[in-house]
Amino acid sequence: MTMRPLINRSPLPGMGLSAGITLTMLSLVVLLPIGALLLKGATAGLPALWTEVNTPRIWGSLALSFRLSLIAALINLVFGLLLAWVLVRYRFPGRKLLDAAVDLPFALPTAVAGIALTALYAPNGAFGAIAKSFGVKIAYTQWGILLALIFVGLPFVTRTVQPVVEEIEREVEEASATLGASRFYTLRRVVLPMLAPAAMTGFALSLARAVGEYGSVIFIAGNIPLKTEIAPLLIVIKLEEFNYTGATAIGIAMLLISFAMLLVINALQVLSRRRIGYV
Amino acid sequence: MSDTHLRFRPVATEPAPVRAALILTSVAFLAVLLFAPLIVVFVEALRDGAIAAVASLANPEAASAIRLTLIVAALAVPLNAVFGISAAWFITKYDFRGKALLITMIDLPFSVSPVVAGLCLVLTFGANTALGGWLVGHGYPVVFALPSIVLASMFVTFPFVARELIPVMIEQGRAEEEAALTLGASGWRIFFTVTLPNIRWALLYGVLLCNARAMGEFGAVAVVSGKIRGQTATMPITIEMLYNEYLSVAAFSLAAVLALLALVTLTLKTLLEWRFADQLAASHHR
Amino acid sequence: MHIEIDEISKEFGSTAALHPVSLAIPSGALVALLGPSGSGKTTLLRILGGLEFPTSGRVLFDGEDATALTVQQRRAGFVFQSYALFRHMTVFENIAYGLRARPRAQRPAAAEIARRVTKLLDLIQLPDIGARYPSQLSGGQRQRVALARALAIEPRMLLLDEPFGALDARVRKELRAGLREIHDTTGLTSVFVTHDQDEAMELADLVVVMSMGRIEQIGRPADIRARPATEFVKSFLSA
Repeated sequence: MTMRPLINRSPLPGMGLSAGITLTMLSLVVLLPIGALLLKGATAGLPALWTEVNTPRIWGSLALSFRLSLIAALINLVFGLLLAWVLVRYRFPGRKLLDAAVDLPFALPTAVAGIALTALYAPNGAFGAIAKSFGVKIAYTQWGILLALIFVGLPFVTRTVQPVVEEIEREVEEASATLGASRFYTLRRVVLPMLAPAAMTGFALSLARAVGEYGSVIFIAGNIPLKTEIAPLLIVIKLEEFNYTGATAIGIAMLLISFAMLLVINALQVLSRRRIGYV
Repeated sequence: MSDTHLRFRPVATEPAPVRAALILTSVAFLAVLLFAPLIVVFVEALRDGAIAAVASLANPEAASAIRLTLIVAALAVPLNAVFGISAAWFITKYDFRGKALLITMIDLPFSVSPVVAGLCLVLTFGANTALGGWLVGHGYPVVFALPSIVLASMFVTFPFVARELIPVMIEQGRAEEEAALTLGASGWRIFFTVTLPNIRWALLYGVLLCNARAMGEFGAVAVVSGKIRGQTATMPITIEMLYNEYLSVAAFSLAAVLALLALVTLTLKTLLEWRFADQLAASHHR
Repeated sequence: MHIEIDEISKEFGSTAALHPVSLAIPSGALVALLGPSGSGKTTLLRILGGLEFPTSGRVLFDGEDATALTVQQRRAGFVFQSYALFRHMTVFENIAYGLRARPRAQRPAAAEIARRVTKLLDLIQLPDIGARYPSQLSGGQRQRVALARALAIEPRMLLLDEPFGALDARVRKELRAGLREIHDTTGLTSVFVTHDQDEAMELADLVVVMSMGRIEQIGRPADIRARPATEFVKSFLSA
C-alpha cells in the first residue's frame, strides 16, 4: 500500500502563503516557547528537576490544584448538564438572559472575577457573612479556591452539551415511552448516554482550565503554604526568587499531569463514541 | 374517556413540578455564582459615590494602564486574526497529511496554564537566555516590556479565531471558491469577494472573544510584564496592585470598566448568535 | 473546441480513481459521462476543468497540451452539482462575477457587462430575476443561473457535474430541453456527468459509460443500446 501523498495538489491559490503564515506564527508564539521550557528542563536534567519538585510544599500545591480542579470540574459537569437541559428544553421568562449569562466567565477578566468573589465571600462580604453565621469560612480557605474554579469552568459543559440536546429527536424519547419506560428511565438510559461524549469534552476543557487557573484564585485563596497554595502560584514565587530551574520543574510537572489527564479522558471519549457513534 | 384526556401530557418531557425545581436550581446556581459577583463589582466601585469612582480612574497610573491594555489588544488581536484566517484557509482548503496534528498544536494553548505560558516566554526571551540576551544587546528587550505582553496575550488567545472559522469553512465547502476559480478570479479576489463575505460574522465572533480575553489576561501577563507601574502594568495587573494596597474603590472602578467591556462583549456576541446563527460555528447554533 | 484525453490516470493515496483512460471529444459535441457513483466520471470532469490534477497523462485542447494550464487559463464554463452560487450576491452579480474578475485591460465597461448579463438572463428565460438572491430561487432557477454564470465568461467549453441531480423529475425533463437548446445555439463543446441513463441517452450525441475508473464503452446512444460492449454496460442499462 502506498502512502497518502504529503500534500495533494490543489488548484486554489494561497497554499504556500497560508501555510507559511500559519507555521511561522505557530512556531514563534507557541512552539518555540514551549520548546524552551522543555529544553530548560532537559539541560537541568531529571535529577535536578526531581530535587526541585520533591518537596512537601510543591507536592502539596500540585495535589491541591489537581484535587480541587477535579472536584470543580465534576460539579460543573452536573450543573452544566442541568443548565444545558433547562436552557434548551424548557421555556420560562428570562431564559435568553440566563443563556447569554452562562458565557460571563469567558468574557469577564479573571482578576475582576477574583476580587469580586473575594469581596462577596470574605467574612465581611454579603455571602461570607451568612456563611460565617453558620460557622463556615469560605474565602481564604480551600472552599474559596473551589468556588473560583467552579466559576471559571462553568460555561464549558453547558456549551458543549447544548447543541447535542437540540439535536436529540423527540421520537427517540417517545419510542422509549411507548416501550413502557418511565421518564426517569428514559433520561438515564436513552438521553444521558447520547450526551455523554459531549459532556466528557466539556468536562475535560473545564478541568484543563481549572488546573491552570491563576487570576481568579490568588485573591480568594489566602495562599498559605501547604493549605491554600496552588501550583501556578508556586511558579510565580520561584520566578520572583529567580529560581528558573524550580519554576521549570513545576511547569513541566503541570504540563505532564495535564496531558496525562487529557489522554485518559480522550481515551474514554473514543470508547464511548465507538459504542454509540458520533452525536 | 374524558378522564384519560385530562391526564394526558406530552411524553417527552418531565412533570411540571420537576421542571419548576430544575429551573429554580439553575437560576439559583447562576445567581450565586455569576450575577452576584458581577453586581458586587459595581457596588464596590460606587461605594464612595460615582464621583470618587470616576476620579480614581483619572490618575496617571490608571490612565497609563488603560492605554497599555488598548495598545496590547490593538497589536495582539489583529495578529491573531491574520493567523486564524491563514490557519483556517490552510486547513480547510487543502488536503495534506498531519492536519489533525496541526489542529492539536493550534489548540495547545487551551491546555497550558497561562502562568506556564508566561514562564515559557521568560525562558525563551528573558535577558539571561541566548535569544533574549542577543535581543537585549541590540536594544530590543522583550521580557518586562511591551513585546512580551503582546506575545503572552497572543499565546492565551491563539486558537480563538481559527477555532471559530474552521468549522464554518468546513461546512461551507470549497465549491464557491472553485466556481470563482473557473470564472477566472485570482486568489486574493476569491478571498475578498467570495470567502470573506461568507465568514465575516464568524470572524467578528472570534475576534470579539479574542479581544475580551486579550484585554483581560492576567496570569501570563503577570509573569512576563515585571509589573512596572506606569510602564508595563496592564489594567488587570493594576487592579491587583491597587487591591493589594487596599485601594478598594480604585481597584473596583478599574474592574468595573473591564466588567462593562465584558458585558458589551456578551451583548454583541448574543446579538450575533441570534441574528447570524446560521453563519457561525456549528457548536454555537441555537 | 476539440478535447482529447490521453491516458489520464488519477490516484487518491492508494486508491485509483481513474485507470489510464483515453477519450476524444469532437468539437461542438454534447457528451455524457454515464456511470454509477464511484465510477470516476466526476473526477474526469474536474480534471478537464483544471480543478483536479491527473497523476499521469495529458489533456489536449485543439491539439495543444493543456495539462499544465491553470483553471483560470482553461476558460471552461463549469456548472457545479450544488451550483455553488455565491449566496451573498444577487443573480446579476453572480452572472457578472467572471467579467468583473478580469484584469482591468480586458474588463468590459459596466454598461457592457449589464448588457451581457441581461442577454444571458433572456437566454435562460428568466429575464426578471436579476435583483434576487440565490436563496429566493427555486432549484430549477438556480440551475439555470449557474449555467448563465458559466456562459458569461465566453467559455471555450461547458462542463456540467450532475446538472439535473438536485431537481425533481418534472423540472428535470423541462431543463433537459433547455440545455440541449443552449448547446445548439452556442455550439460549445459540452460534457456533462450523470448517473441517469435516460438523461444521457436522450440528451447526448455521444455517451461514455464508465465503471470503477475505467471506460466501458463509447458510442452513440442508439449504438450503445443496441450493442452493449461489456457485461457491465448490459446490466447497468437494464437496471
